[in-house]
Amino acid sequence: MTRVKENKSVLVIGGGIAGIQASLDLAQMGIKVDLVEKLPSIGGKMAQLDKTFPTNDCSI
Amino acid sequence: MPEEKHVSRIGVFICSCGTNIAGFVDVVSVTEYAKGLPGVVFAQNNLYSCSESGTQSIKDAIKEYNLNRVVVASCTPRTHEPTFRAACEEAGLNPFLFEFVNIREHCSWVHMHEKDRATEKSKELVRMGVARASLLEPGEMIEVEVARSALVIGGGISGITAATALAEMGINVVLVEKEKELGGLIRALFKLYPVDELASEFLKKNINKLRKQKNADILTSSEIVKIKGYIGNYSVSVKSGNKVKEYEFGTIILATGAASYEPEKTTSKKTLFNYDGRNVITQLQLEKKLSHSSEVSAIKSIVMIQCVGSRVPERIYCSKICCMTAIKNAQIIKEKNNDARVTILYRDLQTYGVEYENELRKAKQAGIRFIRYARDKPPVIDTKKKTVKVYHELLGIEIEQTYDFVVLSTPLVSQPDSLKLSQALKVPIDEHGFFLEAHVKLRPLEFATDGIYVCGCAHWPADITESISQSLGAASKAAIPLICGKVSVEPVVSHVDETKCSGCGICEENCPFGAIKKDSETKKAKVTEVICKGCGICATNCPEEAITIQHYKGNQFAAQIEAAFKEE
Amino acid sequence: MLEAGRHPNINLLTYSEVKSVIGKSGSFTVKVLKKARLVNEKECTACGKCIEKCPKKVPNEFELGLGIRKAIYLYFPQGIPAVVTIDKENCIHIATGKCKVCEKFCEKKAIDFNQKDEMITLHPGAIIVATGFDMYDPTHLTQYGYGIFKNVITSLEYERLICAFGPKNGNLTRLSDEKHAEIIGYVQCVGSRSLKDNKFCSSVCCMHATKEAMLAKEHDAKAESFIFYTDFRAVGKGFQKYVRRGEQEYGIKYIRSRVAEVTEDEEQNPIIWYEDTETRTVKSKKVDLVVLATSLVPQKDAPALAKLLGLKLNESGFFKTNPFTPTETTKSGIFTCGYCQGPLDIPESVAQASAAAEKAADVVLSKNGGMKGSEETRKCIVKKNKPEKKKNG
Repeated sequence: MTRVKENKSVLVIGGGIAGIQASLDLAQMGIKVDLVEKLPSIGGKMAQLDKTFPTNDCSI
Repeated sequence: MPEEKHVSRIGVFICSCGTNIAGFVDVVSVTEYAKGLPGVVFAQNNLYSCSESGTQSIKDAIKEYNLNRVVVASCTPRTHEPTFRAACEEAGLNPFLFEFVNIREHCSWVHMHEKDRATEKSKELVRMGVARASLLEPGEMIEVEVARSALVIGGGISGITAATALAEMGINVVLVEKEKELGGLIRALFKLYPVDELASEFLKKNINKLRKQKNADILTSSEIVKIKGYIGNYSVSVKSGNKVKEYEFGTIILATGAASYEPEKTTSKKTLFNYDGRNVITQLQLEKKLSHSSEVSAIKSIVMIQCVGSRVPERIYCSKICCMTAIKNAQIIKEKNNDARVTILYRDLQTYGVEYENELRKAKQAGIRFIRYARDKPPVIDTKKKTVKVYHELLGIEIEQTYDFVVLSTPLVSQPDSLKLSQALKVPIDEHGFFLEAHVKLRPLEFATDGIYVCGCAHWPADITESISQSLGAASKAAIPLICGKVSVEPVVSHVDETKCSGCGICEENCPFGAIKKDSETKKAKVTEVICKGCGICATNCPEEAITIQHYKGNQFAAQIEAAFKEE
Repeated sequence: MLEAGRHPNINLLTYSEVKSVIGKSGSFTVKVLKKARLVNEKECTACGKCIEKCPKKVPNEFELGLGIRKAIYLYFPQGIPAVVTIDKENCIHIATGKCKVCEKFCEKKAIDFNQKDEMITLHPGAIIVATGFDMYDPTHLTQYGYGIFKNVITSLEYERLICAFGPKNGNLTRLSDEKHAEIIGYVQCVGSRSLKDNKFCSSVCCMHATKEAMLAKEHDAKAESFIFYTDFRAVGKGFQKYVRRGEQEYGIKYIRSRVAEVTEDEEQNPIIWYEDTETRTVKSKKVDLVVLATSLVPQKDAPALAKLLGLKLNESGFFKTNPFTPTETTKSGIFTCGYCQGPLDIPESVAQASAAAEKAADVVLSKNGGMKGSEETRKCIVKKNKPEKKKNG
């Protein structure tokens, strides 16, 4: 069975939508992730958008 | 799981969703209204209920007001039902004692210009939700063991990439391809873009990498005959030649690609740009010619027409890859014969991003002509004189050009068997026959049905770069349950009251999933919970009213209907 | 966002920066500087009392300077983690030794002026770079009047104005006179597809202009929008349908054109001067507001980060990848996804992020040549969280 080598983790640099999605996928595989973001909050540019195309739902 | 009688203490949270709801519904008024509903002890309006502060306020209210039911009136359960259920669970409330009322898609978004009526409708929807919430019962997720192998359907570059990725992670994978050879549409190409590589070399490299994987089983000239089951436990019958083999898979990746649209050929009736397959050909037919150097060098004049059969009322979408395909092929012709007159007639040039804009610049510098034509003034082909007439927008004149070939850039379309496959797998397709993902932005590779994933042109026209990204992404998603070994499924399933069941078998006949069968010993209907999708067909057809759906019981519906028609 | 904040396998290190990276694929050593917020993250509940009391106002970066924040602030209201931060450069107490009103009113005693920056050492097996993009500053493109005319703004500034929790609570008001903007002109390809500025196409601007025009109409039924475009790029799933909807249901006018200049009349109404390429005439259009779809470019600190990580950038400044290995950088064990490697929209970024995760997982997961029992060394969290206590009543 696939196992994590010596509890190796993954570092994700950037807490926007791409960094968040990559972190979630890894976390769901049981891999520990350190998500580093230079701003006080994750969310990136998407958090500054009111709605996003093509569904026009909110970006939160 | 029946519950003893309780006194409802319901908390109602009306979401503004920024301006998505609050812009079109008086959410303050709806919140005030909710406070007066039977059983409601707390009501609050949140700007974004799904945010950390929003969910925290739900958790705080559950504790402070000792809530035993929660209603959130906001967007669609497809986005945030798991979020709010998790919030309830973290606060110690069973997650199935949560009711989701949709006042966005079902109200604010469809009644944008009638605020008063939209507000009244929201109140009614909340009233119905509160009535149902008071009758909800607790439930427990059903844990399922996962068969530790994956099925990849389709052996084009998407299927090959996904299967290789899974195998490299140590996962057993079976790839099923209906053709004799792997490679899909790329087999028909000469060269690729934006990397100047021979399609055959590219395919050879990738196929070899897959073939080297010890735990990948490649079945060509094979087809899926039957698929049954649910995430973690798919039983699949695969036919190879005249043999049928049974497999068990945990997850499935759909990588069945797309087909290239070929216009109807006809000699007498008018057809799309007088397509004849001889001198008026498709890009795919041009690719075949490009591999013969002498044929290419002999071309003196070639005109390519973009958006043939796409971005038109019958097929509104843009097929994404056609502009770059035309530019790539135009450059190959120019390289072989610099004197050749190569013209591309386009509507909008889809050379987005970094590399594609570079290629467009190079193409212009090489002397390839780009002429914009209007949607309502398409080029006219005279196959006798071998000329193309087109209204040149920038010059404001009609120009005429002779040709050796006219090349029609036609779109990628969904595979002819996509409907059949969608029915077999119980996953949806859109109006164009492409597979419809769970959420176009946030879950582009998944379906609402757990355990099945999609990538490449089966999802939507994609170039090789995007197909590879999606395939690796789908492999990542498909690997998650396999690595974990278990998944949880919702307990929204049928329940049979054996004292009422007469053993008529109508439920078994009607169940599309094979989830309910007459037990051979008891002669009563028996549900296999993990297969059941909770669709309700068995319950509605049962003449003895012996079947109920957990979380969607008759008394809950009755309460909603009564609340809907209540006079106030 | 919320899911990432709650997942037990994800350790959020916000207000932090990578300072050094050594090692190789499978075995990196990374030093991360966790900057001091001067607030105890475990105690802070983001109640907002400190923000209310803080006397120091500064321009709000999240609002692109269109609104103000305090020296103690939440980056944005729904931010994760929901913890305030003290802006050391603007804090009165740090400058003068006085004030400390935030500490006085904090019921949780979460303010900690003695908090220090912390250097954390991590040992990841793989790294994923997902640092996104910056907006191109169009100030030097004086023909468009940005920074000269108050009613010429960028698309991101527009997003903040029209956002419900933005500086104007969702009211599309002009910066010159606070009047509501009814007629809006969107100028595409500002700083893009240009040999002088950025040669590439940012891929998303045609679509976001359509979206912005739809929002304007939703906020005001009388709104009229004009999108001045070169080639209209709507290639993604459902995009053409969306654009048609914009035309037919929202009345958006798409004008194929080359915008030469933006000027202004005495009432500070911008005037767009353009060549209508379909009629080959020079025209002008007076509007209430001009929205510039500026290029989306690599982050300013991308070169520094690339140097730190030992990665190459391509000629446009994005992290260099090969089109057929889109998540692989020039260094083994370091992957990339999203806009920082090239123009992508949200669906493409999300899909590519999963691709990068697959590649990174491949590095840290060992292969035993087949599936064995459940002797995993880590927890796969099948259910998201254990309930504190079951409440079934």
